[in-house]
Amino acid sequence: MTKQYGFYFDADRCVQCRTCEVACKSTHNIEPGIKWRRVIETWGGDYPNATRTFFSLACMHCGEPACVEVCSTGAISKRAEDGIVVVDRDKCNGCQDCFSACPYGVPQFGDDGIMQKCDFCVEIRGEPACAVSCPAEALNFGTLDELLEMATGKAAKRMSGSTEPSIIIVGKLQLASLVI
Amino acid sequence: MSIKSDDLEEAIKSVKAKKPEERMVPTFCAMCGPGMGCGVNCYVKDGRFVSIEGMKGAPTNKGKLCPKAFASMQWVYSPQRLKYPMRRVGEKGEGKFERITWDEALDIIASKLKEQKEKYGPESLAILSPQRRSYSDYLQRFLIAHGSPNYGHSGLCAIQQAFGFAYTVGVPMLGADYENADLIIIWGANPGYDGPRGKIKRILDAKDRGAKLIVIKPEMQPDAAKADIWVPIRPGTDGALALAMLNVIIKEQLYDKDFVSRWCYGFDKLVPHIQKYTPEWAEPITGLPAGHMKEIARIYGTAKSACIHAGNAFDQTVDSNNAVRAVAILIAITGNLNRPGGNIVPTGSTMPLVKSVHLRERYTQEMVDKLVGPEVASCFQPFIEGTSSAYYRCINSVLTEEPYPIKTIIAPGTQPTVITRGTKRVLEALKKLEFFVVIDVMQNSSMPWADVVIPVATMYECDHPFEAMGNWIMARNKVIEPLGDYKSDYEFWLDLGVKIGYGDDFWHGSMEECMNYQLENFGMTIEELRKHPTGIIYEPKPMVYEKYEKIFATASTRLSGAPYLPQGKVAVYNTTFEENGFNPLPEWVEPPESPTGTPELLARYPLIFSDTHSSDVYTQGWLRNVPYLREIRPDPWLHINPETAKTRGIENGDWVIVESPHGWIKVKALYSSGIRPDVVMSLHGWWQGCDELGLPSYPLLDGGANANVMYSTDPDKAFDPVVTAMSKQTLVEVRKA
Repeated sequence: MTKQYGFYFDADRCVQCRTCEVACKSTHNIEPGIKWRRVIETWGGDYPNATRTFFSLACMHCGEPACVEVCSTGAISKRAEDGIVVVDRDKCNGCQDCFSACPYGVPQFGDDGIMQKCDFCVEIRGEPACAVSCPAEALNFGTLDELLEMATGKAAKRMSGSTEPSIIIVGKLQLASLVI
Repeated sequence: MSIKSDDLEEAIKSVKAKKPEERMVPTFCAMCGPGMGCGVNCYVKDGRFVSIEGMKGAPTNKGKLCPKAFASMQWVYSPQRLKYPMRRVGEKGEGKFERITWDEALDIIASKLKEQKEKYGPESLAILSPQRRSYSDYLQRFLIAHGSPNYGHSGLCAIQQAFGFAYTVGVPMLGADYENADLIIIWGANPGYDGPRGKIKRILDAKDRGAKLIVIKPEMQPDAAKADIWVPIRPGTDGALALAMLNVIIKEQLYDKDFVSRWCYGFDKLVPHIQKYTPEWAEPITGLPAGHMKEIARIYGTAKSACIHAGNAFDQTVDSNNAVRAVAILIAITGNLNRPGGNIVPTGSTMPLVKSVHLRERYTQEMVDKLVGPEVASCFQPFIEGTSSAYYRCINSVLTEEPYPIKTIIAPGTQPTVITRGTKRVLEALKKLEFFVVIDVMQNSSMPWADVVIPVATMYECDHPFEAMGNWIMARNKVIEPLGDYKSDYEFWLDLGVKIGYGDDFWHGSMEECMNYQLENFGMTIEELRKHPTGIIYEPKPMVYEKYEKIFATASTRLSGAPYLPQGKVAVYNTTFEENGFNPLPEWVEPPESPTGTPELLARYPLIFSDTHSSDVYTQGWLRNVPYLREIRPDPWLHINPETAKTRGIENGDWVIVESPHGWIKVKALYSSGIRPDVVMSLHGWWQGCDELGLPSYPLLDGGANANVMYSTDPDKAFDPVVTAMSKQTLVEVRKA
């Protein structure tokens, strides 16, 4: 594989403004109740020493995607040219095996029962609407090499996980659970 | 000079390549304006507005947006859009209307206004002001042409702060020099949610390079979660904290002695005055440990450079004029006024001034004297937005008939039923009012009481006005054709002006001539401006710090034009206030109900209640009908500390009744360990349902979710005597519904 695109998330900058969530829904015209991206918050401690952190979560376009592995119809695939994980909705049979396999609860099923999720906006404008719109510049996108370079001088690392999620995390990320 | 036209051409090319069936229209977002000026690219397919993105070249937002902007299409195509002008046929409040034509609507309004002007005088007309929008000056123009001073400004937003700063440091609006600050204090504000979103990036960038961040507010909102120090103050007590900080900074001599001796008037009178306002005095009021307040004062007093971003907490408390003056004095005496990293007077840009349509030059003392309920005290009128009566006081005059009753209220894009205090009295007044006109894009909560309803186009259905923000000017482009029988807010005032006989003042109804007039200083017409599809950016002027002689000589907006600062120095001791019967030094005034002000109420109402002014997904009393936004915050809420909730048997997510001495609401309890145990907070503006998600609307009075039923409107206790600033603090008890 030549390139792997992914996201960059700076936990020290996200202010839970929800722009990424609604940018995603609006750009893809997503039905109520379904979210391809969601900002989750984690509280820690008690007043007055409470802590509150945020994480904007969508498909991680994993290096070793568990969804692709379990998909019996071949509907989900990882694009060779950029590592983006896409779903062919004509091939999906709605079995939801991918949902069970994904550690992050990413696959979503709306009224038509067919899997839907983040496609990195590849079919729309070529740039993920969520990342280009983030007013706090907490969310960004690029190849993993570019993103690591972007994080130069900051405490940054690629998120660890058995599926090799394609996301660079900057700052303190505290998570009670990590599911959309 | 045309900005980033390369970017635009690239973007258009890429749209054509990727989506040949879509057309891209650059324009301004309209979701919290018009007038906030975020640049957007809208996409149109088969005549339908299908998607939106930020305009990368726009200096205001640089391609960034907020969730509201992304929900624009659902707002525009909402089933709750009005379709055509209407006249009431049922009883007031019943909501029965019949369709009329635009011409009929304008005839009814014009003949009523003419008749009342003859019978009661022109001042019997009040036009309520929404937040500052690019049509605000059109409302003023109509009022002045008609002869009424009664621009009904909110009495609780921006003007209150601007007033305290103008009369203390000579400048109504101070900026914050985040780029050069060592310390940033966000105080009773939410820069993550309010207005164009550039501010939060600047604050986060400062933090990334090592600036310290202190956030002062009752709740740990997301910006407070990022702070080095969160100061969980009780609502409405910011003025007491500011006085205690002054006490420490003066006692410990942490002020800038050179600046004080050269540029401050009456510091020697502040020194003995401030002695009683110790941190120990403030502790039972603010609920903050005295040691904590001392620490904040020392950090601010010793920072090499520090800026304060103060928000609506200062506009919505009866202590407003005192609190703002105390903060302005803090900024000045610590040497943080118009110095690098401090609170600054922005130098502006080389862009010419847009000619205002306000008609300010026609104000007379007689008009000032006729104000029905001055927003800032009469002796200080007109202020920066012109003459203004407080929104609530315009409405209240219908009931009290003091000093005279308003006979017609026009409410353009604003809902008196949810957006000012005292909803019960507002509804009584609307029933009694002789003539009520509502102007909006959408069905709204005040409409059932209207005599005439005017449906206006959204800004996506208009090709005007142009907007000028900072150093950028751009013509508005029409994204889609109007979906109903609409005109714009702007056209409405021009057409009404012509109909009533003020045509000479309203360009005989020509919007184009009106815009050409405003563009005279630019040496171009609107048609010429349109040749720059993404507008023109002018060079900023380099920042010049200090220049105190100039800023302390600023002429006031009063008819006399006398300077804000008679001594040409910071008014630490304010002789202008003294001459007009107000306290020359800042003092402390308790909210109408509070633990220290009314301890006798604590047995029945042991908790402090307030509401936040800005929201991540809603704009004031709007946008609950938009599915993309409503699904994020589906229910009216009450943030409550888990300890406070558990002692009352309240589980996270339970519906609860919140009762104050003035009213009660039913909302959903949401646990938060980031809120003081003695405070509960809600959000104002709840009334609207969302049909698409099957979520209900709520009653306007008791039992609904309208925070404004909760507060005092006692004329002696609920208003700041200088700047109105209606209180939004009270005491409550909470129980499971």
